[in-house]
Amino acid sequence: MSASAALTLEQGVAQLAAMVGEEHMRRRGETVPTIEVAPGDMQQVAEILRFAHANALSVMICGGGTKLGWGNTFTADIELSMKRLNQLREHAWQDMTCTVQAGCSWTAMQDALKIHGQMVALDPLHPDRATVGGIVACNDSGALRLKYGSLRDLVIGMTMVLADGTIAKSGGKVVKNVAGYDMHKLLTGSFGTLGVIAEVNFRLHPLEEHHGTWTAVGIGAVEAGMTASSLAEPLRALLDAQLTPSCVQLRVFRGECALDIRMAALPECLDGYEERIRNVLGTLAISKSGEEVWNARQQLFDDDDALVLKVSVLPTEMCLLAAELHQWTAGGGTDVELVAQATGLMMVAVHSATDAAFVALIERLRARVIKSGGSVVALQIPGRLRGSIDVWGPNRGTLSLMREIKRRFDPGRILNPGRFVGNI
Amino acid sequence: MLKRGQIDELLSAVGADGLITGNSQLQTYECDGLTNFRVMPDAVVLPRTAGQVQAVVRLCARDRIPFVSRGAGTGLSGGALPAAGGIVISLARMNRILEVDLANRQVVVEPGVINAHVTQRVAAGGYFYAPDPSSQSVCTIGGNVAENAGGAHCLKYGFTTTHVLALDVVLPSGELVQLGAPMLDAPGYDLAGVFVGSEGTLGVATKITLRIVKRPEVVQTLLAAFDSIQAAGQTVSDIIAARMLPSAMEIMDSLSIQAAEAAVHAHYPVCKGLLLVELDGPRSEVEELMRAVKELCRNNGAWEIRIAQSEQERALVWKGRKAAFAAVGRISPNYIVQDGVIPRTALPRLLNEIEQFATAAGLRVANVFHAGDGNLHPLVLYDHGVAGQEEKALELSYRIMRLCVDHGGSITGEHGVGKEKQEALGYMFAEPDLATMQLVRRAFDPENIANPDKVFPRPRLCAEKPGPYTPHPLQTAGIAEIF
Repeated sequence: MSASAALTLEQGVAQLAAMVGEEHMRRRGETVPTIEVAPGDMQQVAEILRFAHANALSVMICGGGTKLGWGNTFTADIELSMKRLNQLREHAWQDMTCTVQAGCSWTAMQDALKIHGQMVALDPLHPDRATVGGIVACNDSGALRLKYGSLRDLVIGMTMVLADGTIAKSGGKVVKNVAGYDMHKLLTGSFGTLGVIAEVNFRLHPLEEHHGTWTAVGIGAVEAGMTASSLAEPLRALLDAQLTPSCVQLRVFRGECALDIRMAALPECLDGYEERIRNVLGTLAISKSGEEVWNARQQLFDDDDALVLKVSVLPTEMCLLAAELHQWTAGGGTDVELVAQATGLMMVAVHSATDAAFVALIERLRARVIKSGGSVVALQIPGRLRGSIDVWGPNRGTLSLMREIKRRFDPGRILNPGRFVGNI
Repeated sequence: MLKRGQIDELLSAVGADGLITGNSQLQTYECDGLTNFRVMPDAVVLPRTAGQVQAVVRLCARDRIPFVSRGAGTGLSGGALPAAGGIVISLARMNRILEVDLANRQVVVEPGVINAHVTQRVAAGGYFYAPDPSSQSVCTIGGNVAENAGGAHCLKYGFTTTHVLALDVVLPSGELVQLGAPMLDAPGYDLAGVFVGSEGTLGVATKITLRIVKRPEVVQTLLAAFDSIQAAGQTVSDIIAARMLPSAMEIMDSLSIQAAEAAVHAHYPVCKGLLLVELDGPRSEVEELMRAVKELCRNNGAWEIRIAQSEQERALVWKGRKAAFAAVGRISPNYIVQDGVIPRTALPRLLNEIEQFATAAGLRVANVFHAGDGNLHPLVLYDHGVAGQEEKALELSYRIMRLCVDHGGSITGEHGVGKEKQEALGYMFAEPDLATMQLVRRAFDPENIANPDKVFPRPRLCAEKPGPYTPHPLQTAGIAEIF
């Protein structure tokens, strides 16, 4: 926190302490200190933001801290920790909805919903540590998106606290609702730049009680790239087969190139599906797999020195692009692993390259996908490369509109300043 | 009134065959499906290209002329009601399906394309467009986008927002931008997400990329007759508790059955509560689940259970359901459609309350609802010719809307707020919520020219009563302005 003419550091600390109690504050850093403050309820969040707004202090919003590296680097005077707002406030199981505070970990929420056989049908990264607010703010999603959609379809309401401390609600607790603007959709994926997500209302789905995973390993697994392109047609046939799988992913990981398929069904129907998958996939060898294959996406982030990219392409392009990526990097000391959802969202990890190779790869990838409407976002960037890689890529002509929305929501630019697209 | 020069500019923007200024022709556009509000626009334009839409909107922006975009005009909340002194932009002539990409499950359309035509276009390839509002044979995708239209099958398949990937939008400044992208998660705010359902207040969509869905292997439709609407409602709760997600669950009461029969002869059983359940998916699973649904119906006292035996039978079942609103015109000279949503579990209580209030008002209420998602469509029946009855009907209808909010629900599930419910929005949301929505609105439309005076409650002027729209005396006298 930088001292301003109106406020010394000590005064600022004292005022924050009066709001939340000293035991819920921590001071970090010496030259430019950051004050971590953990409010205990929504009113305190509002009070802190009013204070920050009035004194032009910047605020970093923090949940489980698993995705703080996503987006542009920025610094903040206050680190607003949502960890104490961690309750599942309501589970209306007969109505299949719930209301949960932003600081609740994903797993804690799902464990509580499980009691009535329900779930929020989304499988984000690091569910044990990541919080509801962080996941929604970053619009994370996993393999279940194929069947259940994204957070745009699952978040039915939200309570948010704006930069000036205004507490506002959007949506509601019913699944079908077209009253007013869906501001919760605007906040979803806004990386904390428009407001602090305080509570989220979700629609729920029945747990997938009976399910199985099958894996089809591509032919010629050694040449992972070549194999990926050979899986394009089987993947298309699978999605066209009226089978309604929960998840389908292309996994080029640890020397294997495979299609993973997860089906959920009544127990008496499940076995029949294996036969149908075999018929659809033709000559590919198919075997039953463990659930761990669905962890591969998260494992791409295990290597801190890896550059991890979120690449979005049309579903028909993803196998071909996977193959191209391997051709580009073959024999050059660069290794690419990836997990691609059948929706066209790919997570690509690039290892052991020279700095120049990282930059060249991302540029080549952008040149390849952006002209047809796709995107490449750098999620995890090795520390030394921060600053030399454009995190978000080129904007598409809506930047001035986005900036105007930001200006109206947060005129003082105090919330996660600079983190988002176009340095919003 | 538009000035001569402005008319000339419109003429050069859209051509003589794209401009209507004559009174008799303008009358066609004075209302939408909510016919008790009528305003004559100064002009109607019928552009054929996004460029023409831009030219018209630029003129509006420069001269601060309000504009209202319009599809087929089937909306039930007055969303396409013209603004006084304004221009209606009819998208009816922008009705081409531009691209079909079955492999990626996408269709690119212009806003004037009729909802049902999207499915017709992709049906041969084994796909369909899921949102199916009752008016789907005439309503347009542009209108569906504005209202975030739902329909009977959104319980499983989601709403229009679920199926919109990208939009070309002419902003109220006249600038043409693309919101969203054909690929998922384009970097930036989810502007497409907030645009869908914004009721024409954020701009004009001129091109829309839609997601289509693979047709399920099998579809089965069940009709079950109960002695009470509550028993039908309980069956819905039991189906949900059994962890099933049917593609549709609809309930009709005896009045609406009677009306639908009179209109389309759907051969419904004559009963107090009719439940329609549709399951779809892989054959083995649907057959197994349908057995369980039948069992639950019997447990709740269903005395007749039918499964549609052919596609024709299934179509007839749905025709009756979708005709229910209009059909009510056969049993009552006038009616008001409501669209509130409640948490499913509040259904029995709410139905009792509706009955009590209706009896007290001496009016009949026919109930048709999307039971799976708690979206009610109570139809308040009245006779305009009987003195005082319309006022009573409006009061009852508004009361039902408030009850929905009191039970933790919403004033509208799919019809939109429009003109009809703008005051009720203030009952559902508090001032800070509405003020925050205005931040979005002003970012898109700082001059408030896109479908102004819709959706949001008007600022309360002194002595103004909440209720259906009536111009404030100060406004009529030209003393106060509504922003």
